Amino acid sequence: MGSEGNHRKTGPDANAPVAVELEGVGKRYDGTVAVQDVDLRIREGEFFTLVGPSGCGKTTTLRLIAGFEEPTEGRIRFGDRDVSGVPPEARNVGVVFQNYALFPHMTVGENVGYGLRFSEPPGGASREERVRELLELVDLPGTADRDPESLSGGQRQRVAMARALAPGPDLLLLDEPMSALDARLRERLRLQVRSIQRELGITTVYVTHDQEEALSVSDRVAVMRGGTPEQVAPPRTVYRRPASRFVAEFVGDNNVFEGVVAEGNGGVEAGVGADSTARTVPVDVGGETLRVAVGGEADAEDDVPRPGDSLTFCVRPQHLRVGRTENGVRAEAESAEFLGETTRVHLGWGGRELVVRTEDPLSGTVAVGFDPADAHVIGADPGE
Amino acid sequence: MSDGSRGRDGSDGSDESDGTDNRRDRPVRLRDGNRTTRLGDRIERRALTGLAAATVAVLALVFYYPVGTVLVESVVVDGAVTLGVFADLLRDPFYFGELARLFAGESPLAVVRGLLGADRRLGIVGFTAYQAALSTIASVALGLPAAYLLARFEFPGRRTLRSLTIVPFVLPSIMVAVGYVATFGRNGTLNAVLGAVGLGPVDLMFTLEAIVIAHAFYNAPLVARVTTAAWESVDAGAVETARSLGASPARAFLHVVAPQVYPAVLMGAALTFVFTFGTFPIVLALGGFELATVEVFVYRLARDLNYAEAAALAVVELVISLSVLGAYLRYEARHTVTSRGVRPLPRRPLLPSAPTAREVLPRLGLGVYGVVAALVFLAPLASMVLASVTGGDGGLTLEHYRFLLERQRTGAAFQVRPWPAVRNSLVFAAASALVALPMGVVVAVITTREYRGRKLVDAVAMAPFAVSGILVGLGLLRGLVFGVEVAGWRIAVAGSAAIVAAHAVAGYPFVVRTVAPGLESLDRSLIESARALGASRARVLRDVELPLVWPGVVAGAAFAVAISMGEFTATVVLATGADAYTMPIAIERFIGRRLGPATAMGVVLLVVTGVSFVVIERLGGEYDGI
Repeated sequence: MGSEGNHRKTGPDANAPVAVELEGVGKRYDGTVAVQDVDLRIREGEFFTLVGPSGCGKTTTLRLIAGFEEPTEGRIRFGDRDVSGVPPEARNVGVVFQNYALFPHMTVGENVGYGLRFSEPPGGASREERVRELLELVDLPGTADRDPESLSGGQRQRVAMARALAPGPDLLLLDEPMSALDARLRERLRLQVRSIQRELGITTVYVTHDQEEALSVSDRVAVMRGGTPEQVAPPRTVYRRPASRFVAEFVGDNNVFEGVVAEGNGGVEAGVGADSTARTVPVDVGGETLRVAVGGEADAEDDVPRPGDSLTFCVRPQHLRVGRTENGVRAEAESAEFLGETTRVHLGWGGRELVVRTEDPLSGTVAVGFDPADAHVIGADPGE
Repeated sequence: MSDGSRGRDGSDGSDESDGTDNRRDRPVRLRDGNRTTRLGDRIERRALTGLAAATVAVLALVFYYPVGTVLVESVVVDGAVTLGVFADLLRDPFYFGELARLFAGESPLAVVRGLLGADRRLGIVGFTAYQAALSTIASVALGLPAAYLLARFEFPGRRTLRSLTIVPFVLPSIMVAVGYVATFGRNGTLNAVLGAVGLGPVDLMFTLEAIVIAHAFYNAPLVARVTTAAWESVDAGAVETARSLGASPARAFLHVVAPQVYPAVLMGAALTFVFTFGTFPIVLALGGFELATVEVFVYRLARDLNYAEAAALAVVELVISLSVLGAYLRYEARHTVTSRGVRPLPRRPLLPSAPTAREVLPRLGLGVYGVVAALVFLAPLASMVLASVTGGDGGLTLEHYRFLLERQRTGAAFQVRPWPAVRNSLVFAAASALVALPMGVVVAVITTREYRGRKLVDAVAMAPFAVSGILVGLGLLRGLVFGVEVAGWRIAVAGSAAIVAAHAVAGYPFVVRTVAPGLESLDRSLIESARALGASRARVLRDVELPLVWPGVVAGAAFAVAISMGEFTATVVLATGADAYTMPIAIERFIGRRLGPATAMGVVLLVVTGVSFVVIERLGGEYDGI
C-alpha cells in the first residue's frame, strides 16, 4: 500500500475515493444468471462485506472483481480504470480462499514469497525481509521453513493472508476465509483480520454467508439475494433498518408482521415512545391492532401510510417483551431453545410464528408486546 | 502510470455524484501499469496459447493432414469424386459376407436366411467383429474375477498386483505374439507339457482360439483395472444402509454395488472391442493371412499399392470403431454416477475365517481363477524366455543370442541386424517422448478446463486413439515421406522422422490420460491464488500445476516411451525399405524364419520395456485412467 495515514485505525469517511466500482454488472452461465444488476461502490480503505445465503452470487461477485471471471454485462472499474479484459495477475489484488489454497510443494516462506517473484517488495525491502515482515504481521514468526502441512487450519489461513498481502496489493479479496474453521477460532481470527486490515488501511472485500461475521467486522455490508444486492449499508443500519423482508429475516432473528393500516383507534399519532418526532399508525395484523412507529419528520405527511395501505414491519425478538399486554398479542409457547445467556422461545399466534428472548422457558399462553418505536417498517404499499 | 493519471484527470472534470470526484490519494494502480511491459512478459503471457497452437499444428501436420490425404484417395479416383470404391467394398462378399448382399440390394429376408444357413460367410469385416466380440467376452470373463479379488480382498502384494495390471499396456504386442507362438506352436511349451503327460500334440497356431487368448491377455487387465477402480469407489455406507433397510448381502450387491460397477465393466468391454477390432500384430503373427482381420487387409492392400481400397477399408473400420465408442460414450453420459467413495468397502482376508460354504466357495473360485490367470498371463512370457534359451535339441543354449551377435557382425545390408533395431527403438522412443510429452500436457491442460466446445477439442485431440495405425503410417508415408508440394517447395520428411511423428501421435493420448486426472483434481483456487499473486497462466503451469502433477507427467513419459518401443503397426508401414526398423519390426522379420532369434530379440525388448515399467511404478503411483 502507498501512504497509510488518513484512514488508519478508523473506517473510511463517506467521501473517501472509490476504489472499486461495479456498474450494472451481470454474469450468466449458459442461460442461468449468477449475478445481475450489481451496482456497488467500495471506498478506499473500506472493509466491505458481501453476505447472503449460498447461491446468492456473492462469491461470483468477488471472482468478477478478482478477474477470475469476466462479467457478461456492465463494467468494473478500479479507481477510474475499466478493468475489463485485465487478467487477474495484472489487477494487483490479494485473494484468500476458504480452503487456504497454500501451494503444498512450497514451504511457508516460499508461499508467502511467491507473489514477490512478479513484483518488487513494497518499501524497498528484500524478498526475505518482506516474507519475515508479513509472517510477523500475521503472528507466525519463524515458520518460514515449515511445511504448510505441518500447520493448523487457523495458521494456514494466516499464511494465506500473509501470502496475499506480501506483494502489497491495492485490494484484498477474502472468499469465506473462515468457513473451514471452528466457531471459536473463527471469532478470534476475524478480529485479527480486521485489525490487520485497519493497520494497513487496505480496501477489503469480504465474502461470507455468516451474517454475524458480516456485522462484526465490516464498515459496510451488501446483503445479496438471487444475484443482486438487496441492501448496502453499515452493519447497524442493516440490522436496525432492514430494507426488505428478506434482509430483516436473514440478518439475525426477527419477527415480521404483515398487516393493513387501520382506521380510527387514534389514527396517526405523534410523539409516542422515546422518539418524540416519530409518529405511530395502527396496523391490523390478523385481527389484532398493533401500533407501529413510522419514520419521517412530523411535517412530512407524504411518508405516512394511510388507512388501507398494506404494511410490513418487523420487531426484533429482544424487543418483544413477555408479559407486556399493551400493544401486543396473546400467543402460545411452542418450543424453547436454551442458548446459554438467553433462551429463544418460539410462540404460535394465529398460525404465525413469533420468536422472543427470555431468561426462562415459557409455557402456556403468554402475552407479548412491543414499544411502537421498536418496530421497523420495511415497506408499505398503497391499498386499492 | 500514464493510464492511471490520465484516468484521474478525466474524472476530476466529471460531475459524478458523491465520492467519485474526490480522488485525492492513492490512485488504484494496475500491476502492468506501474512498470514497462517487457517483451518477455508478453511472450510469457501468450505462452500457453502458443503451445496450444503448436500442438494443433503438429497434430494437423502429422495426423490430420496425412490421414486426410489417404481418405481423399478413397473418394477421388482419376480426379473425380466418387463413392464407387465404397460401394464396391460394401457389395463385396469377401469383405461383408452375407451382409454384402443386403448392400447389393437383395431383400433383408434372403440375407437373414443366408446368415442363418450353415454355410454362411462372414467376410473379413464380419470375422473381425466376430473375433472382437469373442475377445471381449473372454477379456471380461478373465478380468472380472481379478477385479473382485483386487477390490474385495486384502492380501500381501495386492497393491503390486494392482499396479501390474498396467503391464499389458507397456508390453509390445509383437512380443506377446512371439510369446504365444512359443506357447502354442507345434514345438511350443503347451505341446511339451501335453507330451510329458502323454497327450497328443495340439496345434493352436493360426486358430481363432490363440488370437482370442492373446487378446484376453492384453485386455482383461484393462477390464480388471477400470472395474476395480469403480468397485473401490462404492461407498460402504451405501451398502450398510441397504443392509439396515433389510436387503440381504446378495440383494445389496445387486441393488447398490452392481449398478455402480456395471458402467465400468461396459467401458472395459467397449474399449476391448475397439482395440481388438483394430488389432494387427497379434493377428498377423498368430493368424497369418488365413485368419485376417480388417487391419491386416488394409496392410496387405497398402503393400500391394492398392491405396484407394486400403483407405476405403480403413474408413469402414474407423466408422465401426467410432460407432461402438460413440454408443458407449452416449451411455456413459446418461449413466455416470459421480459418487466419490467416502469410505470404501472393507476388504476381506484371503484366508477363510470359518469353514462355511459362504466363506470357502468364493475363495475356492478365486483359486481356480488364479491358476487360469497364471497360465494366460505368465505362460507366453515364460515360454518366450524359455524358447530363447532352448536349442533345437531341447537343451539349454545361448545360440539364439549368439546368432543375434553373429548377425550384427556379419549381416548383409538387406538383413535385419539387432543393434540398429535396439538403437533405433531407443532413439525413436526418446524423440517421440520429447514430442508427445509437451503435446500431451498441453492437451491435458486445455481439456481439463471448462468452456464451450471442450468436448469437440477432446474428440479432436483423442482421435489418434481410435484411428488405425496402418492408416496413420500410410498417410505419413504418402503425405510426408514421399513429399508434398507447397508453393513450389517440395517438402519431404525422412522415414525415421515420420516414425517418430507416428509414435508421438500414438503416445501422447497416454500422456493426456496420466496427466489430466491430476490436473482435474487440482484445487482451482491454487491456480487462482497464483494468478492473483501476479503469475501468468503459463507461469502457474510451471510453478504450481506441473510440480503437483509431476508423478503423472513422469508416468506419461514412461508410457510414451513404452508405446513407442512397442509400436508396430505404423512402424511396419514406414520402415519398409528404410534402415529405420525397430525391435518389434526385427522380431516380426525373424519370426517368419526362425523362432529362436525372435524370442531372443523379444527378451531384449522385454528387458528394455521392463525398465520403462519400473520407472512408471517408481514414480507414477496408481493411475486408474487408461
